Amino acid sequence: MAGVLVFGDTVGGELTPVSLEVATAGAGLADALGESLLGALIGDDLAVATREFRGGFSSLYLVEDKHYRPYTAQAYLNAAQKVIEACSPSVVLFAHTLGTREWVPRLAAHLDTGLVMDCTVLAAEGKDLVVTKPVYGGGILGEFVVRGGPRMATVRSAVFDPSSAAVATEVVRLDVPVPAPGRVTFVDEATVAAAGGLKLKDAKIIVSGGRGLGGKDNWHFIEETAAALGAAVGCSRPVVDSGWVPSSHQVGLSGTCVTPDLYIAVGISGAVQHLAGISAAKTVIAINMDREADIFTRANYGVVGDFREVLPAFVERIKQLRS
Amino acid sequence: MNILVTLKQVANPDISPSHIQLDPAGKRIVSPFGIPPVMNGYDANALEEALRLREKHGGKVTALGLGDDTSRESLKCAIAMGADTAILINDPDLLNADSAGVGRALAAAIRKIDDFDLILCGRQASDTDGGQVLHWIAETLDLPAVSPIVRIEAVDGRHLTVHRLIEDGYQRLRVELPALLGVSSEINEPRFPTMRGTMAAGRAMIPGWKASDLGLQPFTPKVELRQLQIQLRTSKADLIEGNSAAEQGAALANKLHDLGLI
Repeated sequence: MAGVLVFGDTVGGELTPVSLEVATAGAGLADALGESLLGALIGDDLAVATREFRGGFSSLYLVEDKHYRPYTAQAYLNAAQKVIEACSPSVVLFAHTLGTREWVPRLAAHLDTGLVMDCTVLAAEGKDLVVTKPVYGGGILGEFVVRGGPRMATVRSAVFDPSSAAVATEVVRLDVPVPAPGRVTFVDEATVAAAGGLKLKDAKIIVSGGRGLGGKDNWHFIEETAAALGAAVGCSRPVVDSGWVPSSHQVGLSGTCVTPDLYIAVGISGAVQHLAGISAAKTVIAINMDREADIFTRANYGVVGDFREVLPAFVERIKQLRS
Repeated sequence: MNILVTLKQVANPDISPSHIQLDPAGKRIVSPFGIPPVMNGYDANALEEALRLREKHGGKVTALGLGDDTSRESLKCAIAMGADTAILINDPDLLNADSAGVGRALAAAIRKIDDFDLILCGRQASDTDGGQVLHWIAETLDLPAVSPIVRIEAVDGRHLTVHRLIEDGYQRLRVELPALLGVSSEINEPRFPTMRGTMAAGRAMIPGWKASDLGLQPFTPKVELRQLQIQLRTSKADLIEGNSAAEQGAALANKLHDLGLI
């Protein structure tokens, strides 16, 4: 067994940005192990994704069929197994997504091999794969040695820089027979649009409110600030639990993990689960009455003050600066 | 419908990392004195869903845990909430097992119980955030598994219709029983124990099974925890000052503008 195999992630045939980050993680490991770097894509209509999946792979394996849209765990599991059989890698990496969280552990169990999910550091020590992942909602880091063949890991998004290496020189198409209908069958799919228009997941700027706002009556401060900045509206879990806003706005481990350039947290104390959900935010601003709130441990800039006065003046100044 | 629910007892996830402690080997999270461990939150959602299904469709609910003697507390809590019976796998040899080892032990216990239509598990545990054990159980028992589930829409004979979370919505899937579901917190709000339940929990006998009772062979872990490290957080925020909150607000806008962020 040799080679580091990187599975790209596609949604509706489009390569997702995290795929290129996993390619970077894989390239580092392949270098350290002195092994080749291989890529793989599973999906429907992969022509564009194939051209975009940069990583410097010596070979790119493709399993392409309309059968892979919509996603079902059994189909992906089956296809991935065929790719692994075809190239016998020593290490296999995946993006950490809602899909891989379901089918990759099953694949590990099926292959009876070691897997650690949601890794932020991957290293080779001799032939060992040593990984680090946040546990306890992000408050603790765990370091693990992964064993077995192949050793597997899923990689958290927005940790590694996207690869800009060349696309694969060789593309290998694998003909995987479509398995008989399993015990889980797809019925249909529904999109739940985030209220307030802008999607949290892709937002460049997010204004988020927490319990410190004191009540639903004060929520308009968040919406007005978000509107002035062209930002998406987020919130912490207590706000959802209190019924001020729907759960589609919830940022954090049990809500949406976000990756904005600018995250403004107003009246959010900074529970571990919330901080984990904004770990990939580039710049975090905390506005809070309580200087001791945990949110200031993550914030780059802070304002200790009453949001009812801070935010209107902030919005006023933004409008001046923009006009 | 007979339902098995797997329960893990974890350190209270609301404890700030600055108060959490590790054992001397740096391998286990230890609850600080005076803050008792709790039932894993997603597992509580799984138990609640099991109780609701029993209320509608009959059958019984069995809670199954793996842990040290203190884990009986979570299982008693499960009975107090309404579970019919509870079983604990408590074997020191299994306490440091990896996901594969824990999953196989739970699967072996489930085989021994041998009377279930549905297994409900939390999607992951809040201490290790692993999310693998349920899939090792499903693979070992050759069951279909779907996760994370935010709704069980319908029960129709030997099939369930469930909603599985996707990035911007959910997919509806039809699952043949017996099956295993990984439950997410959106599905319900777990109930509190009742007085009657608490009395039943006080009387309940919770058997403790060992690896040898389950016919488990010694195994080599696939994943070895080397160490845990608490992320001590210290404030590094630059504070924006001003003579009034309004001045601070304007100064913040200027700062973000200077940084090219807005």
